[in-house]
Amino acid sequence: MLLISCPNCGPRDETEFHYGGQAHVAYPEDPNALTDEEWGRYLFYRENPKGLFAERWVHSSGCRKWFNAVRDTATYRIAAVYRMGETQPSVTGGAK
Amino acid sequence: MAEHTLIAPITEQRATELRRSPAEHLAAQFAAAEVTGPHSLALREVPFRTMVGLRVVPGTDAARRVEELLGTPLPGRCGGVAICLGNSVAAGSSVLWLGPDEFLVVSPLGSTVGPAEATARLVEALGTDPGSAVDLSANRTTFELAGKAARDVLEKGCALDLHPRAFAVGSAYVTQLGPVPVLLWKTGSETWEIFPRASFADYLGRWLLDAMREFHGAR
Amino acid sequence: MADLLPEHPDFLWRNPDPKPSYDAVIVGGGGHGLATAYYLAKNHGMTNIAVLERGWLAGGNMARNTTIIRSNYLWDESAAIYEHSLKLWEELPEELEYDFLFSQRGVLNLAHTLQDVRESVRRVSANKLNGVDAEWLDVDQVKEVCPILNTSDKIRYPVLGGTFQPRAGIAKHDHVAWAFARKADELGVDLIQNCEVTGFVKDGNRVVGVQTNRGTINTGKVALCAAGHSSVLAKMAGFDLPIQSHPLQALVSELHEIVHPTVVMSNHVHVYVSQAHKGELVMGAGIDSYNGYGQRGAFHVIEEQMAAAVELFPIFARAHLLRTWGGIVDVTLDASPIVSKSPIENLYVNCGWGTGGFKGTPGAGWTMAHTVATGEPHPLNAPFSLERFVTGALIDEHGAAAVAH
Ligand SMILES: Cc1cc2nc3c(=O)[nH]c(=O)nc-3n(C[C@H](O)[C@H](O)[C@H](O)COP(=O)(O)OP(=O)(O)OC[C@H]3O[C@@H](n4cnc5c(N)ncnc54)[C@H](O)[C@@H]3O)c2cc1C
Ligand SMILES: [Zn+2]
Repeated sequence: MLLISCPNCGPRDETEFHYGGQAHVAYPEDPNALTDEEWGRYLFYRENPKGLFAERWVHSSGCRKWFNAVRDTATYRIAAVYRMGETQPSVTGGAK
Repeated sequence: MAEHTLIAPITEQRATELRRSPAEHLAAQFAAAEVTGPHSLALREVPFRTMVGLRVVPGTDAARRVEELLGTPLPGRCGGVAICLGNSVAAGSSVLWLGPDEFLVVSPLGSTVGPAEATARLVEALGTDPGSAVDLSANRTTFELAGKAARDVLEKGCALDLHPRAFAVGSAYVTQLGPVPVLLWKTGSETWEIFPRASFADYLGRWLLDAMREFHGAR
Repeated sequence: MADLLPEHPDFLWRNPDPKPSYDAVIVGGGGHGLATAYYLAKNHGMTNIAVLERGWLAGGNMARNTTIIRSNYLWDESAAIYEHSLKLWEELPEELEYDFLFSQRGVLNLAHTLQDVRESVRRVSANKLNGVDAEWLDVDQVKEVCPILNTSDKIRYPVLGGTFQPRAGIAKHDHVAWAFARKADELGVDLIQNCEVTGFVKDGNRVVGVQTNRGTINTGKVALCAAGHSSVLAKMAGFDLPIQSHPLQALVSELHEIVHPTVVMSNHVHVYVSQAHKGELVMGAGIDSYNGYGQRGAFHVIEEQMAAAVELFPIFARAHLLRTWGGIVDVTLDASPIVSKSPIENLYVNCGWGTGGFKGTPGAGWTMAHTVATGEPHPLNAPFSLERFVTGALIDEHGAAAVAH
């Protein structure tokens, strides 16, 4: 069970959260201008690294706010937590 | 065309008669579950209190107007509870922090300060600024769990640190009890108010009865 | 019971050092890598090939799955490849000369809501049109097939019926891997363990070799069969895959008398339960929500599936949990696999089988071998190409893919 620090509520059990996948994926500015390849990439392709990963979580059974976390997908260690709209803090290390 | 209504209009008195609280059917079991002595426990449902959901960003003009109306600053952090001043629209009500821009205005236990009235005044205070005030009184019910063993019961299904050093009297947190999302409000040193959503009230009521069971033998 | 299990010889395959060069190299020695090697050798006469495995053979998902085998998928494309796979399963014990306890005890997929019923009946009809044995059973028939199931209408999600595929079942997964490994080895395939691929050697856009912790190996072709690690390898080779890796857990109870005659899956109550040959109850459900390569997940996921199992099978209420574990599953958005050419010449990918690729082991190996040997997909795997994520010709099997099988 992960212990996740919500930026608003502090550390809470994983069961209070829902996962939102990769962070910082912007909706295309002009979807109509994209090729099929580009649109397909936007819809279906997300990073899937083994190691540090910037991802979204929502504190569903708490403050109901989305936020970002940098987590190591191999060790599950959460290296940083930051609010929506904030830039990703630089963290190093992580499994290879 | 003539106006026909199939259902006769419901008078206020009739409405009160028809009203059923989400855990009404468990009242007798709650009463029977009372424990006295060193592991005392009492559980009851206190239904129909007024709850108004409030969305507004603290620090904005809209928030300031709302605060003026409620007679208190909005609580500024997780766990925070503010008490509305006696001469305000929601006199005696509490404002519970649900999120950075979300609050719940709750009337005192057992009382209903006219939800329609309070909501309308809050909506008015928000004006055309972003925000909302919605009467959510039917959304959640209140369980009051009191007694020396109340914390032990809650600890069976709540991952928050319920020790007094971490969970002070007068604070309220949105969390989970068992698998059920609840608002958990510590109103006295041995008294907790638990707000489940109406549809979870039956489950949570039975969950609490089950969690209280071990203390029956200890009375 | 133990006499059911075949004698266990000391070594089933050689333990060769890598040669400097092969005609084809398969990355990943799980079920799919081994089956691909076997069919490359057997169907296509390619025997100068190697399977490179970073750990020990079949220690990944192949060692961790709950062995449900079935082919009752909704769409024509899926029915075709999974049914082909099931037919291969039916021949393999004899062909591989290995009794891996393939037990066609049937699989029941329960329906608990009207929506479930409609979806199930539709799927049974689609299955029949595709030559897949499938039946719709009402509650009484469900009870007949599995008497220990709680079919009372007093529970939260009463069983309203179910689909049944009699030819479906379970097998002993590690024996399956050993059976493929032994035969591939006999045909001349080098199975190389403790050999981790760490990079690719390319000539322009063409792959010509792999770098490993045991040196560089030249090769004409590369077949990626790395399941949960596919994205990591694709990245090394210079392209991306539309998959996400998640922990998937399962559990077994202590041994019990054999009381459970079939395999029961429930999307809605969310668990599946079978009883292995030795008598342990085998259960699983859904993935842990987050991306993860840790081969472990959270206990609440286990707790929830046990609660679901007890709801369906009150008889198991006092069973003790013996062991839980996790694998890394490679999930696509349409719950269908990718068996395809890649943007890199001579490099082929088999991945995206997610939570349900054990049943696909022979089918994946068969079609992947064809793709690698001929450079073009077999008609069975052509629809499962990477291109579908551009054309939009997805094969959405979220309904039939069920509670992560
Ligand atoms: C808990 C669980 C239950 C499941 N239950 C079922 C079920 O009931 N029915 C069903 O059909 N499917 C089931 N599955 C899914 C099934 O196990 C997989 O889809 C299938 O095993 C994947 O193919 P594989 O056997 O080749 O994978 P794996 O056995 O994972 O093989 C991949 C191999 O690649 C190796 N590898 C990775 N990186 C490298 C590298 N760089 N160099 C060399 N080697 C590398 C790994 O070590 C691993 O051995 C389940 C999976 C899990 C985890
Ligand atoms: Zn929070």
